Amino acid sequence: MDLLHNPEFGEKVVTLMAAFVLVLQMAMVGQRSLLMNIRLFGAQSFLLALIAAAIAWYNHAAHIYLAAGLTLAVKAFIVPVLLERLVERIQIRHEIEPIVNVPFSIIISGGLTLVAYMVGTSFYHPETGGASLGHNTLSVAISIFLIGFFMMLNRRKAMTQVLALLSLENGVFLAAICLTYGVPLIVELGILFDVLVAVMVLGILVYRIRETLDSMDVSKLRSLRG
Amino acid sequence: MIEAGWKVLAQLALLLVMAPLVSGWIKLWKARFQTRRGPGLLQPYRDIYKLLRKGMVIPETASWLFAATPYAVFLVTLLAGLMVPMVAADTPIGLFGGVLAVVYLLGLARFFLALGGLDAGSSFGGLGSSREMTIAALAEPTLMLSVFTVAIGGGSTSLSEMARAAIGQQWHFLVPSQVLAFAALFIVLLAETGRLPVDNPATHLELTMIHEAMILEYSGPYLALIEWGASIKQLLLMVLLINVFWPFGLSAAWSLTGIAGGLGWLVVKLALLSSAIVLVETANAKMRLFRVPELMAVGFILGALALVSTFLL
Amino acid sequence: MPILLALPLIPFAAGIFSLVARTRRAMEVANLAAFGITFALALAGAGEVLRSGPVSMFGGFLYADHLSALVCLLTASVALVCSAYAIGYLREDERIGAFEEEGVRSQLRKYYSLTPLFVSAMLLVTLANNLGVMWVAIEGTTLASVFLVTLYGRVTSIEAAWKYAIIGGVGLSMALFGTVLAYYSGHQVLGTDTLAGLNWSVLAGKAGQLDKTTIRLAFILVLLGYGTKAGLAPMHTWKPDAYSEAPVPSAAILSSAMLNCALYGLIRFYILTSRCLGADFPGGLLLLFGILSMGISVPFVLVQRNFRRLLAYHTIDHAGIMVTALGVGGRLATLALMLHMTYHTVAKALLFLCAGNVSQHFESDLFDKVKGGVIRVMPVTGVVFLMAMLAIIGTPPFSLFQSEFLILRAAVGEGHYLATALFVLFGAGVFAGALLHVGGLMLGPGNQPTLRGLRPWRELPMLALGGVLIMIGFWLPAPLLELIRGAARVVTGD
Repeated sequence: MDLLHNPEFGEKVVTLMAAFVLVLQMAMVGQRSLLMNIRLFGAQSFLLALIAAAIAWYNHAAHIYLAAGLTLAVKAFIVPVLLERLVERIQIRHEIEPIVNVPFSIIISGGLTLVAYMVGTSFYHPETGGASLGHNTLSVAISIFLIGFFMMLNRRKAMTQVLALLSLENGVFLAAICLTYGVPLIVELGILFDVLVAVMVLGILVYRIRETLDSMDVSKLRSLRG
Repeated sequence: MIEAGWKVLAQLALLLVMAPLVSGWIKLWKARFQTRRGPGLLQPYRDIYKLLRKGMVIPETASWLFAATPYAVFLVTLLAGLMVPMVAADTPIGLFGGVLAVVYLLGLARFFLALGGLDAGSSFGGLGSSREMTIAALAEPTLMLSVFTVAIGGGSTSLSEMARAAIGQQWHFLVPSQVLAFAALFIVLLAETGRLPVDNPATHLELTMIHEAMILEYSGPYLALIEWGASIKQLLLMVLLINVFWPFGLSAAWSLTGIAGGLGWLVVKLALLSSAIVLVETANAKMRLFRVPELMAVGFILGALALVSTFLL
Repeated sequence: MPILLALPLIPFAAGIFSLVARTRRAMEVANLAAFGITFALALAGAGEVLRSGPVSMFGGFLYADHLSALVCLLTASVALVCSAYAIGYLREDERIGAFEEEGVRSQLRKYYSLTPLFVSAMLLVTLANNLGVMWVAIEGTTLASVFLVTLYGRVTSIEAAWKYAIIGGVGLSMALFGTVLAYYSGHQVLGTDTLAGLNWSVLAGKAGQLDKTTIRLAFILVLLGYGTKAGLAPMHTWKPDAYSEAPVPSAAILSSAMLNCALYGLIRFYILTSRCLGADFPGGLLLLFGILSMGISVPFVLVQRNFRRLLAYHTIDHAGIMVTALGVGGRLATLALMLHMTYHTVAKALLFLCAGNVSQHFESDLFDKVKGGVIRVMPVTGVVFLMAMLAIIGTPPFSLFQSEFLILRAAVGEGHYLATALFVLFGAGVFAGALLHVGGLMLGPGNQPTLRGLRPWRELPMLALGGVLIMIGFWLPAPLLELIRGAARVVTGD
């Protein structure tokens, strides 16, 4: 049996990888160590690039390979390396207790996943066009988006908020891949460039926050009111 | 075709013989990973033999429960073990409820063990029992969720049915709900068999004992029975994990060639799973007790996701 | 049309040049020259559009119709005026030591290189046809302006920049998702032709056939996303901080040109949605956010102690007004929207320039510290400030009164009585608050010696804008009016 040309195998593999991406996102919600968070994000981006490549292979859509490769290079390697270097310079490695405690926030993430499934199945009609691989991958994408949003609200360290922002981006990427085989190449280039610059900008800001406040706790940024 | 009686005997023999072997394998490879030589592969057999011949010291404050517990644990675990498909999809005994019966038989064994720990009246025993029951209570929802996921996939709670359904479907092991249920059950395996990061099976420090604390007062043949029972439980859970999710090599019926093939595949898969356990144990330190609920919560979420995925993915 | 290509490129080149320039003089000259040329090009471009309709380049990749030309022209003019002002303002800052010790040169370099990059991104927003490229450009404006907010390096600046970056980032992610959904909705109709499928002009043409549920979801996401950039409530919390911490010329550009660009993005999606679903669904949502923004700004305007934050809340109020106008729909309201956009740009930029003069002279942003009588201490600034404030809160016979009145008339005409009532109520609240505070600031006895003499860099741009403001209240040059009418026609589709 030729695995590489069997579309059913391909569909199962893509669905499986999408489920792993979701699990990684939830792991990011519950993870305390900053370095692990960054690595989870890198792993998630790596899986996303693989999903893109798999969809490209099984649907014979060659233009996604470039997007997959760029995502791999930028989001799975360059961004984690930049962020890890930043953590080295800042010397703060652990998250303080998030606003909602870990088990409860994981349960909330589960609830958000259900919401995402309801939203995703409401308008995605695979038989009328779009990518034909990965059952309900769109729902996984939306749930990554929602969970990233929740992470943004729940965490107090500046660095994890940056990671939450990046995982929002990941969710949109996955949604684009499974809805429309990705966005046009020039847009993809622009988006990745923006992501890179955003990481650098935010990194510098995080460094400055650390310098002036001696902590990365953004709930201490409260001097501007009214 | 071998009749039911022979099936029972064959599976009994397998359980009794292979359980200490698996424990020995895990201990050996843990040691090797830590660049020690480790005990030999057959050391558990020697330990059981030694304990069976030793004299016993029984606390004065113990009651009939103290004597009953080792037998109860051993026999109940064996009974549960007979209901798990080891070399063939057809299990020798099929009690009503299938996998639920297995789970609650194991629960019965744990119940006795906890009572036995309390019975001697020492504080260590009570400490161990209460911790054990806490972790079991947290692990049980996960166990149930994963079991139901698999049952839904297989169309019945009978383990033979589940194994047969798993053999029938191609790419069954790639379905997300199965993978997630496997991950959840792996975490439950760590909790139920008392492995790092939940419990350290090699420690006797008060702060870190759970399983060891419960059986601290036992010695001689009683201890041999309890230890053997614990390793049979470990084997049982591992076989469950393996044969329901990756049923390669499980033969559909009890024929000689089928059994031989099934045994070979079983050994290979057990070796793989044991290696995974060894890796997890070596890579992690023991978790503080109040962090264990978080690990169980992760397992719970995985289990819940698995169950939800059967309908949605 | 090479104008379309040159427009974003020239400021970009100036920005790169300023990165490596040696002297301050070189940076100042590069900025001023670039913006001057850009302004001229924008005028030429507008003329071209007026003459021959929408122009495009590279097979529809760059595209300018009346709406693009109008917003482009507004951006270019604000950039020019603010760059002239900035020369004087930053020189004064250097003199009074507002910059950190670690090198005035690098601070100046930051300003003079980031600002043209910022403006170039804004110009690209209006000229890009591809919705994805438009998104990339808007995100580019956020990234370019973050460091402008932290220019002074204070703790509060960093806090403001962080909020700006994060809230803006989250909002823009939502907008990206909306853009992807819009792309998907056109996918069935247009097939897998990748690049043209995200072109606005193509999508607008086929808008009737787009998938309705998807467009609905896309519009909601884009409203939340670009609304965050525009500062609509409840996503407005970054605005007061960013506007009060950024250097005044940057704040002026942020509050006028950047707001216009965010609204531009909203308007493009509104056109797609209303052509697909009818105007009720998007209109209702826009009305909701618009009135909410106006309402939220009222208490903060009434109880305000910092006049730069007062201006920021005022901007939120006006963003609400413009979004309300868009939501009311119909030809009158859309015309009023375009008029209001034009007037607001002039007035808001002017206000910030005046506020900058005041805050620099008194070295504080707080009403308490300045204590009133500015009109006696700084006569030129004081008069212009007071006049501009009266104009922007909608006093007749100034221009903004006309546009707000048109909006009200249109709202009543379309039957949105509750919205009209709330509009008037909130407008009155803002009127009272702003007049109270700024009046108190300006009038009364002065407690410092009067400033004599004209300070050319800082006061001439102010006076020029003030003159323009008064003039357009009474007379709009015909081409400008035609451009505004054309922009309104783009929205209403006829």
